[in-house]
Amino acid sequence: MTALLSVENLHVEFATYGGIVKAVRGVSFDVEAGQTLAIVGESGSGKSVTMQAVMGLIPMPPGRITQGSAKLRGQDFLGRLEMDGRTICGDEIGMIFQDPMSSLNPTMRIGDQIAETLKVHRDYSPKEAWKRAIELLELVKIPEAPKRAAQYPFEFSGGMLQRVMIAMAVACKPAVLIADEPTTALDVTIQAQILDLLQDIQKETGMAIILITHDLAVVARMADKVAVMYAGQIVEAATVNELFYESAHPYTLGLKQAMPSAESDENHVLEPIPGSPPDLFSPPQGCAYCARCPWHMQVCQTDDPASFRLSDTHTSRCWLQHPRQPREVEGLHRAESQGVSKPVSDTADQEVSP
Amino acid sequence: MSQYNDGVHRTLRDSDFEPLGEQSTTPLLVRPSRSYWQDAWIRLKANRRALVSLYLVIGLLLFTFIGPMIWRVDPALQDVDQISIAPGADRSALVAEAYEPWVNGQVEPDFAGGSGLRLAAEPTTLRVRLLWDPMPGADNYRVYRNNYPIEDPQALGIPLADITRDNVYWYEDRLDLRARDYYYAVVVLDELGQPTDQFETVEVNVGRVITAVEARNRGLVGAGESLAVGDEVMMPWHPLGTDYLGRDMLARLMAGARVSLFIGLLAPLLYVVIGVVYGASAGFLGGKADQVMMRFADFVVALPFLLFMILFQVVFGIGPGESGIVPMLIALVVLLWPATARLVRGQILQIREEAYVSAAKLLGASHHYLILRHMIPNTLGVILVTLTFAVPSAIFTEAFLSFIGMGVAPPTASWGSMCNEGLKNMLTHPHELVFPAAMISITVLAFNLLGDGLRDALDAKMRSAE
Amino acid sequence: MWAYTLKRVLQGIITVWFIATATFFGMHSVPGDPLSGERASTEAIRANLEARYGLDRPLGEQYVIFLGNMLRGDFGISYTQQNREVNDIIREHFPVSATLGILAVMIAALGGVLWGALTALYRNRLPDYIIMFLVILGISVPSFVFAALGQLGLVGLNSAAGRTLLPVAGWGTVSHMLLPALVLGLGTMAYMTRLMRSSMLEVMSADYIRTAKAKGLPMSRIFTHHQLRNAVLPVITVLGPAIAAITTGGFVVELVFAIPGLGRYFVQAVQQLDYTVIMGTTVFYGAFLVFMVILVDLVYSWVDPRVRLQ
Repeated sequence: MTALLSVENLHVEFATYGGIVKAVRGVSFDVEAGQTLAIVGESGSGKSVTMQAVMGLIPMPPGRITQGSAKLRGQDFLGRLEMDGRTICGDEIGMIFQDPMSSLNPTMRIGDQIAETLKVHRDYSPKEAWKRAIELLELVKIPEAPKRAAQYPFEFSGGMLQRVMIAMAVACKPAVLIADEPTTALDVTIQAQILDLLQDIQKETGMAIILITHDLAVVARMADKVAVMYAGQIVEAATVNELFYESAHPYTLGLKQAMPSAESDENHVLEPIPGSPPDLFSPPQGCAYCARCPWHMQVCQTDDPASFRLSDTHTSRCWLQHPRQPREVEGLHRAESQGVSKPVSDTADQEVSP
Repeated sequence: MSQYNDGVHRTLRDSDFEPLGEQSTTPLLVRPSRSYWQDAWIRLKANRRALVSLYLVIGLLLFTFIGPMIWRVDPALQDVDQISIAPGADRSALVAEAYEPWVNGQVEPDFAGGSGLRLAAEPTTLRVRLLWDPMPGADNYRVYRNNYPIEDPQALGIPLADITRDNVYWYEDRLDLRARDYYYAVVVLDELGQPTDQFETVEVNVGRVITAVEARNRGLVGAGESLAVGDEVMMPWHPLGTDYLGRDMLARLMAGARVSLFIGLLAPLLYVVIGVVYGASAGFLGGKADQVMMRFADFVVALPFLLFMILFQVVFGIGPGESGIVPMLIALVVLLWPATARLVRGQILQIREEAYVSAAKLLGASHHYLILRHMIPNTLGVILVTLTFAVPSAIFTEAFLSFIGMGVAPPTASWGSMCNEGLKNMLTHPHELVFPAAMISITVLAFNLLGDGLRDALDAKMRSAE
Repeated sequence: MWAYTLKRVLQGIITVWFIATATFFGMHSVPGDPLSGERASTEAIRANLEARYGLDRPLGEQYVIFLGNMLRGDFGISYTQQNREVNDIIREHFPVSATLGILAVMIAALGGVLWGALTALYRNRLPDYIIMFLVILGISVPSFVFAALGQLGLVGLNSAAGRTLLPVAGWGTVSHMLLPALVLGLGTMAYMTRLMRSSMLEVMSADYIRTAKAKGLPMSRIFTHHQLRNAVLPVITVLGPAIAAITTGGFVVELVFAIPGLGRYFVQAVQQLDYTVIMGTTVFYGAFLVFMVILVDLVYSWVDPRVRLQ
């Protein structure tokens, strides 16, 4: 069965004055209808760039997609605006952004900005589009929708604007909604409301959500599947339970350590991950996380780790998962028997190499 | 096989899984620590256009201040033999004998004759001798001279003289002759002295001559050198030609540069300083004083600028012998300080609210310290940029006012007044307009580009999106 | 909004009053007096003239009379042409200047927006470099040089074509207006192109343009509905100063092209020290410019909802 949306081996580069930045280095994932995939990572890990590349939002130049594919129901649409007469962006896939305050046109009425999508993709008449825009505003629970539709973004609060963004993104009933840190710029109580809203709409329409975030609490609450990104690669991909209870990558462990939890008492010390992400002008030869990893080994310096499969839904890109790696690391999940943990890509393994 | 990790294949050994230990495996990112101004200077140096404009400005200053030491020609000196000379024009002159009056109306010996209106001797800048045959039914004639070929009998040029004496069929022209082509015409006059349509014309190519005495007096030849008639001497050199009064263009451009740059640099400096003090006081005092001070500034800003500049010049009334530079300076300062004042006040108000100022206050910093350590360094960049952009606009204003005759009074040279004078002879001697206009343009261009570069270098927030 | 309009108009009136006062006292402090010279040859004639112009009264009274006359829109009689009222001069010559000015402002604004948008869209490519080079020229070359060069070029063009393509000077038909208006608008157009370019570049990288792209809007719609609209706003804010620059720039262009506009008349009056004409035209121009700036501000606040609704 083909996934609703699948991205394979995506590579994105940026040509800058300082040289070429390899922002995304071989990212693959897929998502099914009704599912929520969370992409987690710190700033600069390439999570936003990945989704912007899929949506064709990367300015080219300086950006460049060097490899990879993005398929909707099995058909590659990467670098194309339309497929089978339907536009991908705004129609099949909707997207909302981090900062709703600056993501709406300041000189255009809210209603017009929503109606615009319907006019362009669905050939609505201006009157129908306006009526539908008001319905959408009601859907995202904006009070006094008819009056609010005629207002401008500066008359709205941040949370309200994010609702407007959602209304705009789901106007054409997309199959996938990409939410790029939708709650980062909002305060905590509003965050919860926005997340609830997204879940409600998902339940109603059965759309898939790809949630980009750096907040593990949001992941725990929303996601079915999680992909952890670091330095332009997915270092661990898992279901949400596997990720939290069977973490298989030192970076994931580090993230968890840095996150407060309900069980932790007031004496619990949050431990930040030391150091900073590598310079993507010249990615390190071996594992990108090596310099910050407390368990780094000789091989980590010289070879980029293979992706090891722990279960059907769980992979980790770490040499610690290698069957011949002798150490046990506290908190790090490993496959039950040595035999199960085998690399997804077979080349780096001795048994295959000549 | 796969593309994974550049296709590196190797057999992993047990030693590969040895822990690395605590040593850091990547070199720390070390960046040299640089101050704001060092950083700005590095950014400016990387900006090619800004750097070129910086060299241009330095070049202009050299031209203005060092130039007159090298090119020691009086900008007010008139070279009457070379008026409105284009750069690179022929400046040779032949030594001729001293002028002697022409009394007999005879053709000079060895000079080819002819018929009709003709020359009686080699035409020189000392004199042109014309001779013609008597025309039927006329005894009075009028002689005309024209600078252009005669096409229309109605347009013969300047009338030089009426010849009314009997049996005189010759005329000697000594009126302000230049080394160029002239077109003479002799018209028959009727009994009433009215010109008829009967006339003859001749084209005369006047050669430049100078007497030996004069050549010596002007120092065109060395003291010991002998001069004979027919020798060639070189007239004074004007690399950029001369203007309509025979003044050296290069020397005048240098003199004009002094005036234009004096106004262009000093006026902005003065009003920016006044604006900074005023704006900073308003911003720092705040409250009622700030409001009153800013109302007043708003008010001056609302005045139509050039109109009031003109009015100022009228009111000051440039008397004889005055250059009009000081009134213009005062007018510029009086009208332009509020823009800087507003800008600086805005900056100060903004900085006052910054967290680092609050932090400094919490740590017990004095007013004095706040102003010295936070306010001034953080507004200096903006002020510097304002100053750079103020220079071209002051130069423009000077040029504009001088151009409409409301600026620097003649004979003081400024680029604007030179343009004004050059405009009159634009069609025949374009160099008189082109050079001062080019100087204005280059200066304004250089300061504009420098301003852009400074803005980009000093403040990333003010960075123009170019 | 209404309160704002009222406040601005009130401010404008005070500014105009200040201009009038400054002009009046300025002109009356000019060294020498307007009647010295050949016209007042005898004491009797002089006394007559003084009475005619009201110069025999105390300065304070003259000021009150001046203000009163101004309120009624009466600027008095010219000193150099004693049969002409200043009002007639303004009425006759201002329409010419206004036509030229409006044409120049239109050329400058439309040209600036067009070229600015174009350079932003072609950023760092050949059209951008060419236009920005011309823009730098336009900013650096004074208007009178453009006027002179334009005229020179036209003379050459006409003689090359062997007929009058466009008249070199004078006024009357549209063909007379084209070159002067272009020359007059050129500097402002260059300035506006620059402004539009940086404003457009800022808008192009704005988050809401990314949103528009994510909405799958066609590029043409993004350009017209989202980019152009927002990028033009800063250009509107400088329209006021632009009108002032073009009006005063008109003095020179009218001079060079021998256009019978009020600007040329004003410069002439200044050179001949024709006091009533100077005062009248200064106050008139001042009031015109002050209210144009206010008008532009009001138009801006109406166009930008963020200002309109606050």
